[in-house]
Amino acid sequence: MNASRDGTRARGVSMTGVVKRFGPVTALGGVDFDLRPGEIHALLGENGAGKTTLMNILYGMFPPDDGTVAIGGREMRFASPQDAIAEGVGMVHQHFMLVPTLTVAENVVLGERGGPLLRKRHLAAVSKQLAEVAERYGLDVDPGARVWQLSVGEQQRVEVLRALYKGARILILDEPTATLTPRETERLFPKLRALAAEGAAVVFITHHLEDVISWADRITVLRHGERVGTLRPSESSASDLARMMVGRDVRLMQVVAGERSVSGTKEARPREPVLRVEGLRAKGDRGTPALSDVGFSVAAGEILAVAGVEGNGQPELEEVLYGLRAREAGRVSLDGRDVTYADPAERLRLGLGLVPSNRYRRGLIRELSVAENLVMDRLGAAPFGSELRVDRREVARQAKELIERFSIRVSGPDQLAGTLSGGNAQRLVLARTLSRELRCLVAAQPTRGLDVGAIEFVWEQLAAARDRGLAILLISTDLDEVMGMADRCCVIYRGRLVAQWPRDELDRERVGLAMGGAADRAAAAPVSSAVASRES
Amino acid sequence: MSVSQAAARLAPPLRLDRRARALLASAGAVLLSLVVGGLLVVIAGGDPVAAYRALLDGALGTPYGIGQMLVLAIPLVIIGLGLALAFRGRVYNIGAEGQLFMGALAAGVVAIFLPVGFDPLLIGAATVAGVLAGAAWGGIVGVLRARWGVNEVITSLLLNFVAILIFTYCVRRPLRAPGSPDLQGRSIQPDAALPALPDLAVHIGVFLALLLVPLAAYVISRTPFGFRVRMLGFNAEAARTAGVRSGRMVVGLMVISGGLAGLAGGLQVLGVAERLDPGISQGYGFTAIVVALLGRLNALGVLLAGLFIALLQSGGQAMSVIEGVPYAIVLAIPAVFVVFLLIADRFARGS
Amino acid sequence: MDWSEIFGPDALVVLLSTSVAFAMPTALAAVGETVAERAGVLNLGLEGMLLAGALVSFLVAYYVGSVALGTVAGVAIGVVLGALMAFLSVSLRTEQIINGIAIVLVAQGITLFVFEKLFGGEEQPTIAGISDVEVPLLHDIPGVGPVVFEQNVLFYLSLALALGVSLLLTRTRFGLSVRAVGESPAAAEATAVSVARTRWLALLVCGGMAGLGGAVLVLGQLNVFEEDVSGGRGWVAIALVIFGRWNPLLVLGGAFLFGFTDALQIRVQAVSGGIASSVPTEIFGALPYVVTLAVMVAATVLAGRDAQPAALGVPFRKGVNA
Repeated sequence: MNASRDGTRARGVSMTGVVKRFGPVTALGGVDFDLRPGEIHALLGENGAGKTTLMNILYGMFPPDDGTVAIGGREMRFASPQDAIAEGVGMVHQHFMLVPTLTVAENVVLGERGGPLLRKRHLAAVSKQLAEVAERYGLDVDPGARVWQLSVGEQQRVEVLRALYKGARILILDEPTATLTPRETERLFPKLRALAAEGAAVVFITHHLEDVISWADRITVLRHGERVGTLRPSESSASDLARMMVGRDVRLMQVVAGERSVSGTKEARPREPVLRVEGLRAKGDRGTPALSDVGFSVAAGEILAVAGVEGNGQPELEEVLYGLRAREAGRVSLDGRDVTYADPAERLRLGLGLVPSNRYRRGLIRELSVAENLVMDRLGAAPFGSELRVDRREVARQAKELIERFSIRVSGPDQLAGTLSGGNAQRLVLARTLSRELRCLVAAQPTRGLDVGAIEFVWEQLAAARDRGLAILLISTDLDEVMGMADRCCVIYRGRLVAQWPRDELDRERVGLAMGGAADRAAAAPVSSAVASRES
Repeated sequence: MSVSQAAARLAPPLRLDRRARALLASAGAVLLSLVVGGLLVVIAGGDPVAAYRALLDGALGTPYGIGQMLVLAIPLVIIGLGLALAFRGRVYNIGAEGQLFMGALAAGVVAIFLPVGFDPLLIGAATVAGVLAGAAWGGIVGVLRARWGVNEVITSLLLNFVAILIFTYCVRRPLRAPGSPDLQGRSIQPDAALPALPDLAVHIGVFLALLLVPLAAYVISRTPFGFRVRMLGFNAEAARTAGVRSGRMVVGLMVISGGLAGLAGGLQVLGVAERLDPGISQGYGFTAIVVALLGRLNALGVLLAGLFIALLQSGGQAMSVIEGVPYAIVLAIPAVFVVFLLIADRFARGS
Repeated sequence: MDWSEIFGPDALVVLLSTSVAFAMPTALAAVGETVAERAGVLNLGLEGMLLAGALVSFLVAYYVGSVALGTVAGVAIGVVLGALMAFLSVSLRTEQIINGIAIVLVAQGITLFVFEKLFGGEEQPTIAGISDVEVPLLHDIPGVGPVVFEQNVLFYLSLALALGVSLLLTRTRFGLSVRAVGESPAAAEATAVSVARTRWLALLVCGGMAGLGGAVLVLGQLNVFEEDVSGGRGWVAIALVIFGRWNPLLVLGGAFLFGFTDALQIRVQAVSGGIASSVPTEIFGALPYVVTLAVMVAATVLAGRDAQPAALGVPFRKGVNA
């Protein structure tokens, strides 16, 4: 065969019987996948279905345990992404693989082979070429900018640009829409379409049905590491796809129509404000402004959703509210008591709970048992003994009760928390947090990365807690979640609250517009500090 | 790969199994390091079997030998317990040597000057002064880390030099024994000297060390404080989220480990040297790091490791005299042991 | 005591030229440590590497009689210990802080053993010093000339290497990889930079620099070996990396500050007549450590930890990045 490494030739991909195991877990159990030049192919499936694993294999991140990968009819054995890149494969990861402290051009040069020296002239030449490629595909990016200064959408364009610059003709995008606003999504896909029209093969991973139906030429559905089928959007309805993806009929059906509502059955009865925030300002990790003039209040018995695309100050808001990050200005009060300077322990004592967005880093301690994780915030007082002694029998009893009440699937209370699946880990976090005497709960991205069953569980728990009279602040990037759960909704954009609506004025499109920074077009009430409450 | 998959791969669910494998790993590490020690003896031109026999005879052959071993073990175990606790919370105090000297200085000053005729009171006051001084010296490091995130490894280590030079300064100048040559510090009042056990010539600090072992074990495994220390060590972020006041904990761990080092220093002055003397520590603050690591940050383990190293060091004198091999072998063996243990642990956990 | 013997016009030149010379071992180790930390590995074994480099270079120079070979041997043993650190920290991914402490302990134990075995009970062995070389033209520069350009060959070599390794970080592809790997290893790995390989190399460079520091210390300055000859310079070097905000040139500057305080305290001891004098020389003896501590704490308090590589001290495992 004369298969050269000619990046311009249109080549397809054929993966057959691909198996991948991680220890005892089989991530892929013999998956076939083919990708044709000129098409946009969607890889659809729930979290944990094996989509990313399959694409990581195509990108050479790790080899398959069994099965073959062929590009242009030639079997490939990639030892590293470098090999895959040389064959014209490019990948845009969900969590961007960019080094924030380096410039765009340096990120592109990184990993490139060449002489030992890194010449300024070379960097300048690369910048120039990047600008040309960017121009050609309409991806405006400044090659000299440092990545940490760029917005999420810009960073994604850098990733695409880098892949194209390296000669990618097979472009993989992992959850490209997860961090984009609807408007940014609508800008992205036509560019991908133009690429495909030139003979490139594009595959994108998603679990959003709308993306698939609107943009894909063909769809491959994965479930539990198996391929369920490959079809065209015209051949199937959204509900067919959802059933293929999940394997059963679920209430998720409502998600498709954008009307799901686990909590919607009960009209919220807001009472006195519990959490009150005024003029909050804070910096991000790199000293850049992350929050400015954020103000709102949450009443007992209501869920205030803060919607927004990733990277608009949500982690900082979560941390400042819970006392994990210093604020520069502003006040936070809980039940009328000023807690601006209180540490997390004090806020916890006063009845503020947190379901952290990063549940493995903040929510639990992997090396401790499930039982220990369940009680770790309440040792040192009755009924678990005193500061001098832990009553281990009581710990075990309580743990057992919580495991049952929150249906955490474990082999026993002594199982290490690090071995829990995403859904069970979140159940554990909820069990610990919600079994406290809380007044207010900050739930940050509480369903991110969970499967459908766990998502439903989380929503039910939040709704039940709201109905018990908790004030809940729900920080979410998931528009469906916001639409389904919010009693009131505001949008965070570039660290500011830019719009707010009560539940009956909540409109999917307008929220989406506001999330993309077009709050004025979303025709919502402007939010000023401390106004965003329903006290009146 | 998802986090849970990775976690499933990293941490096998059975704990008992892990313990058994850890035990095997330890045994392997002991064996290997003794072999390395033997090799060093051979390199030095000695007979390893004879050398080890001389070592054992020297340490355990006579009551006096046993006593000397115990005297050595006292500071190692006391400091090792504090370090084990601190290391569990990932507070890496490697300044115990300096904390020991500050404790010794404070205890010595009290024991020299406090005009109390009643022994237990004098001894008690001197001991408490030692603990407080060590705790304060360690506390500086803790505050710097808790308040501004200053790396405690570096500060605690550099403060060793400062503490030792302060001690040397005091001994050479304001507290020099009247009319004595260069480095002799003043003697403590006879009333302040710790009584010793007959035959063994071990001061009664040995009981304090023995008492501290179960106490530390209890604190680590049965109290909320010990639990919070473990939380902090495993995942400081999650610990803070669950209401652990990490800053206070860091300061607390530095104060406790520093206080225990100070206690050890005080006992060296009151029970061993009976004067202010730069020779009160043969690097015990550093050796105690090895003790804590070999003891796997476990109270009983620290006791055993402390005794083991004390045995090596006290027997090492005899070995080096009889077999003519360098005494430093007994310093090299535990260090090599730590490295082997790190490797063995890794393989025991599986990779 | 007559302070003009220290700060007088002629004495000052001597003081400053000893300062830069005394700074060199620490400077080398600190620049090496900067490379390791920029790659994301906190190498606390530096003191051990410096000590081992000092002993081995001394032994080779003593028995073979060649300063050049001694220097090479010092670098080599540093590289070996760097490899041990890399094996533990990068390949086995055990706790970096413990690995570093363990390496210091091993180096101290073995060094003492070897030295005792070879010279135990004998008179302290010494080697011949190497002579200073005046650099033509440069040494005529007023002020700087006599301070920097009347030193021995090892000094010039060290200065060149320290500056060279500083440039390594900004001007080479390897340096770019190092910066990437210490900041976000997952991103680096995804762009075909091997995190393990980069960190290994960075630690070998670091070990070599520390070993060289040891060699320069005994061959270029002291001409004797003592059991605690490194005197905490490795630890000081680590503090200086923090002081210098992980910027090699600032780190070098910090090393000269340390060298100055070190030279000053030795000078004070010499001039004052040691223990017998009324000057508390011990307090001056503590000066280098106190100053190092103070500037490190000040830098951390004032500048925060923004400059610290994000992945410093965190082991990297391929495929796990959530």
